[in-house]
Amino acid sequence: MTDSLVSIARALVFIVVALVLCAVIFSIAGFSAELMFSAILDGAFLRNGALNHALRWGLPLFITAVGVAISFRAGYFNIGAQGQFYVGAICAAFVAEWTSGAPAFVVIPLCFLAGMIGGALWALWPGLLRLRSGADEVITTLMGNFLAGLLLVYVTSGPLKDQSGSGQQASSRPLDAAYRISNSLGVSPTIIAIAVIVGLSMWLLVNRTSFGMMSGLAGRNPTMVTWQGAKLWKVGLASFIISGALAGLAGTIELMGPNGRLASGFLPAHGFTAILIALVANLSILGSAVAALFFGGLASAALYLPVIAGLPSSAIDIINAAIALFITARSQLIDRIMRFRSRANG
Amino acid sequence: MDDIIIAILRSGTPLVYVTLAGVIAQRAGIWHLGLEGLMIAGACATILGIVFTQSIVLALLIAVGVCMVVSVLFWFVVEKLKANQIIAGLGLTGLGLGGTTLAIESIFGSQAAVSAPFGLPRIGPLFGSFGNLSILVLLMPFFVLAFWVLLRRTRFGLRLAAAGEHPFAARSVGIEPSRIRLAALVIGGALCALGGAELAAGSLQFFSQNMTAGRGFMAFAAVIFGAGHPVGAALAAMFFAIVGALGIRAQLVFGDRVPHDLLLGLPYIATVIGIWMSARLRGGAKAISGFGELRDN
Repeated sequence: MTDSLVSIARALVFIVVALVLCAVIFSIAGFSAELMFSAILDGAFLRNGALNHALRWGLPLFITAVGVAISFRAGYFNIGAQGQFYVGAICAAFVAEWTSGAPAFVVIPLCFLAGMIGGALWALWPGLLRLRSGADEVITTLMGNFLAGLLLVYVTSGPLKDQSGSGQQASSRPLDAAYRISNSLGVSPTIIAIAVIVGLSMWLLVNRTSFGMMSGLAGRNPTMVTWQGAKLWKVGLASFIISGALAGLAGTIELMGPNGRLASGFLPAHGFTAILIALVANLSILGSAVAALFFGGLASAALYLPVIAGLPSSAIDIINAAIALFITARSQLIDRIMRFRSRANG
Repeated sequence: MDDIIIAILRSGTPLVYVTLAGVIAQRAGIWHLGLEGLMIAGACATILGIVFTQSIVLALLIAVGVCMVVSVLFWFVVEKLKANQIIAGLGLTGLGLGGTTLAIESIFGSQAAVSAPFGLPRIGPLFGSFGNLSILVLLMPFFVLAFWVLLRRTRFGLRLAAAGEHPFAARSVGIEPSRIRLAALVIGGALCALGGAELAAGSLQFFSQNMTAGRGFMAFAAVIFGAGHPVGAALAAMFFAIVGALGIRAQLVFGDRVPHDLLLGLPYIATVIGIWMSARLRGGAKAISGFGELRDN
């Protein structure tokens, strides 16, 4: 119990430290930090319908974050969620294009299947390179992100190009309304149900199955797993595939829900934010749900800032980056205080 | 032929400087994924410095200073607060990308790019058709050589290797690894500033949001590809630049028959292949992530 208290206390302390750093950066850039933070707080959590907005951004982020948590738990630094998210969305968009005209109950499941397979494949090749040759997955998945970004540009300005578009930003032809799983506000019973199913099944997978047990061990002590007789590479590859499939699923939700079409460079911070959510939650599934709501709120504030408050939306990127800088830090001080307290109590 | 060599030198030089920063950090025991953020900070500071001081020397000093200060922050987080290097490095990169965007927006409104009236000094007509290259291109081989000497032939280089490979042993003979790492990161910060300066003020003379486009990560890959050796890593960086230049050349040759967005991906593919080859040749990645410490038990 004290352990989880320590980790929550530590996360909160370092989030505060990160916000202080942000205040310094805002002031240097010539913005009033007070004004900036109050606008962000307002946009993220206090305005009317803030919860709805936080859910719209938070639910897909939660799904990707769960995938990130699963690969991190197994000890693999799959930071390619962004690329897997894009490739999932691209595959789903192609399937929607090809099956266009068929009834929705055929098209929608096929798109979801395609999205998850696409995301899984985009995680599979770095996984194979890592497990078969030992090629470092940090770099390969990062490069995968850049490649997927270029692929998205190519697809939206080539095969799936919307000819009627104004040409400002390349985008694909909009999805037929019958195939959308939510309106552009982005919260619908379908999306909530998917997120709940993903959350529950992944919680069970991590906490109640031998895979969860072994992958958790693999992250801490790979030798132990081999001694237990489990195949390390099977556990590893499965975690790559699951994390990729979940990122692809989130991409499909964004395509068929709020966005309704692909646009080049859409949601460029999705993968990074999902990594943050998983880390803030200390790689727990339940914790990710809470953290996703927080970062979902921040993501909605990124739209609120320039439109309502007249402030640059890059402020949100800076807050996220500052939290990333500090979130894995471990201060001796906090540990010492908590240990002292537990000793005093015991 | 000349123009393709010029293109390679132009795109390769910034990469080499940043790669050297990655090499010195890696030898000191830090896997530096913040290179991208430092590089864009250097690029932005150089252009803003030129615009506001009208002096290239002052602009370079500002850029180097900014990157050194940010490097000290990174050192504090990974060394004193024991943060995970990979995640903290990504955070630093995010701060660089977001911070430069914020700076441009706050000074120039919502402008996407800022151009400077002049850039780095050119090497001059003495070099014929290469005369338009910046002075940093000419200095680049000397920097690589100097780094090789520094890392392989000096007391500091030996201490650096000790701090990186066996911090415990280093400490037992009175070397403080943490201080050595601070020196390595600060030197690296200066190099990232030069790389960023060359990128923004070498031939382009403008800064735009996210203009580094993953070059810092490519430099990181070049460090791994080059096994942490300054010359090897610099060659790896030049290799990525050659692939990129050939991709641009291929666009001119093939025209619309090959989609040009996919040709832009060639350097990234080359990076993946480079990482894969070096893993095959050297028997796999060492655990660079330090996972045991990422999660509480």
